[in-house]
Amino acid sequence: MFSLASIATMAACLFLFGVFYAVIANFRAMISKAETRVGFTVFFDEGISDEEIAEIGEKITYRAEVSEIVLTTADEAWEQYKSEKLSPELIQTFGNDNPLENSASYTVYLNDISMQESLVRYIRSIEGVRKVNNKKDVSESLTSINKVLTVLAIAIIIILLGVAVFLIGITISTGVSIRKQEISIMKLIGATNFFIRIPYIVEGILIGLIGAAIPLIILNFSYGVIINALQNNFALLLSGTDFVDSGSIMKVLIPLSIGLGVGIGFLGSNITLGKQLKKIEVKT
Amino acid sequence: MRKIELERALSGEIEPPVIRLDDVCKDYDDDMHALKHLNLIVNKGEFVFVVGSSGSGKSTLIKLLLKEIGPTSGKIYVMGKDISRLKKNAVAKYRRNIGIVFQDFRLLPEMTVFENVAFAQRVIETPIKKIKRDVPNILSIMGLSERLDAHPSELSGGEQQRVALARALVNNPMLLLADEPTGNLDPRNSWEIMRLLEDVNKRGTTVIVVTHNKEIVDMMQKRVVHLNKGVLTNDYEKGGYSNVKN
Ligand SMILES: Nc1ncnc2c1ncn2[C@@H]1O[C@H](COP(=O)(O)OP(=O)(O)OP(=O)(O)O)[C@@H](O)[C@H]1O
Ligand SMILES: [Mg+2]
Repeated sequence: MFSLASIATMAACLFLFGVFYAVIANFRAMISKAETRVGFTVFFDEGISDEEIAEIGEKITYRAEVSEIVLTTADEAWEQYKSEKLSPELIQTFGNDNPLENSASYTVYLNDISMQESLVRYIRSIEGVRKVNNKKDVSESLTSINKVLTVLAIAIIIILLGVAVFLIGITISTGVSIRKQEISIMKLIGATNFFIRIPYIVEGILIGLIGAAIPLIILNFSYGVIINALQNNFALLLSGTDFVDSGSIMKVLIPLSIGLGVGIGFLGSNITLGKQLKKIEVKT
Repeated sequence: MRKIELERALSGEIEPPVIRLDDVCKDYDDDMHALKHLNLIVNKGEFVFVVGSSGSGKSTLIKLLLKEIGPTSGKIYVMGKDISRLKKNAVAKYRRNIGIVFQDFRLLPEMTVFENVAFAQRVIETPIKKIKRDVPNILSIMGLSERLDAHPSELSGGEQQRVALARALVNNPMLLLADEPTGNLDPRNSWEIMRLLEDVNKRGTTVIVVTHNKEIVDMMQKRVVHLNKGVLTNDYEKGGYSNVKN
């Protein structure tokens, strides 16, 4: 009876844990993708030669935290500007001149966003660099959302696990009180503590195992279905979002959930047993 | 006479006594002195009655010997070993040398007669093969061969106490403690239990029986230890109950 309630609670806890994990994993994937998509732009001194630009490019690429740099030539910049901002009549007036002659730039992409500040400092110090457009704000706010989410998840999980330990404690202490007489006789006959404890510890661990297996099975089946439904129904909103695939979620979630379940089961039963068994005396 | 034996045992001249209490006191609280300066030696193979009025400390003595409680002061040696020095885990092993029987039988109602006795062997991890041999054996000694599959509720008081006795004896303890084993039984069943206890004793087990039954104590002519308000007042070699006024 009570063990069913415990299994249900444990399953609910670990299910929530799994959902949280899946959401966070996806969110983190999105953030890190966004982070690497957010580059910053490096402009050069007026009248700089193509060779000098290439040299600066080499210096930047040499840094370990840089994943990629993309060169936008002055002509490309002008073409892009023309197509985006100007009407054909206006373009006519420029003829073959390029008013953005000095607008060649590198866009720098990072593989480690936390290194951005020091990299920007370094690039500014390179000779021939006029200006670095630092989009610090975007990356910082993304990173802080990431942090808040993780802290929130950890807090919720700790609370849930506390509840699970408490419920297993109740299950075990009911089990012990039902068998008080039996245990008291066992003590009298010379049963070791280990012998008396083992069935309850097994019970606790089983609760943990079953409580972990149920949500894992549910999550395994529903994850793909939910991702599919999301992609089909909100195609526009989610375009370009790559969801983390079910396999790599489960690869982490299975050992983590089972470990948590078994750990909580063991801990919950062990703590309670210590208290409960002390109460049972051999009455004479 | 007992004093001389104590000295000989202490000097290692003879086998250590099964039980030796040295100046044992037990206070439950500041003004509840259940046992006062108790000195007692019980040798291997003895059969001892412990008598005394209600509250005189008889059950306290049994609890001390089981190491369910510890003495407030004094020393308790069992088979020459100071039992106060037993580590927590060694207490379980220690109890395997002691059989115990209570007034209220303490059988497990949901188990059969066979299972109740087998339980005592399962608890100490006896191999199944040995359990299957020992349990019917001891139950037949107790005259219960026909009732192996019965549940305690289907048995008479005397039969239940014989199951409890079988459970206490199945592991061949060297010491048997019985706290008012006939307290709930009619005279015929009481005698039956006493006869069985005497048999067990004849086969080498040291037996200590707490009882209020005057008639039995007087008839059996065993050693009788009298407790009175926690003090050992008389210790008769082949005594009776009646020759002391409580
Ligand atoms: N756990 C306890 N806490 C406080 N006092 C106790 C406790 N157990 C026993 N006593 C007291 O110690 C005294 C001796 O008790 P004990 O049970 O040894 O008596 P007894 O000789 O077995 O009596 P009876 O013949 O009624 O069984 C009694 O006065 C009893 O009230
Ligand atoms: Mg008593």
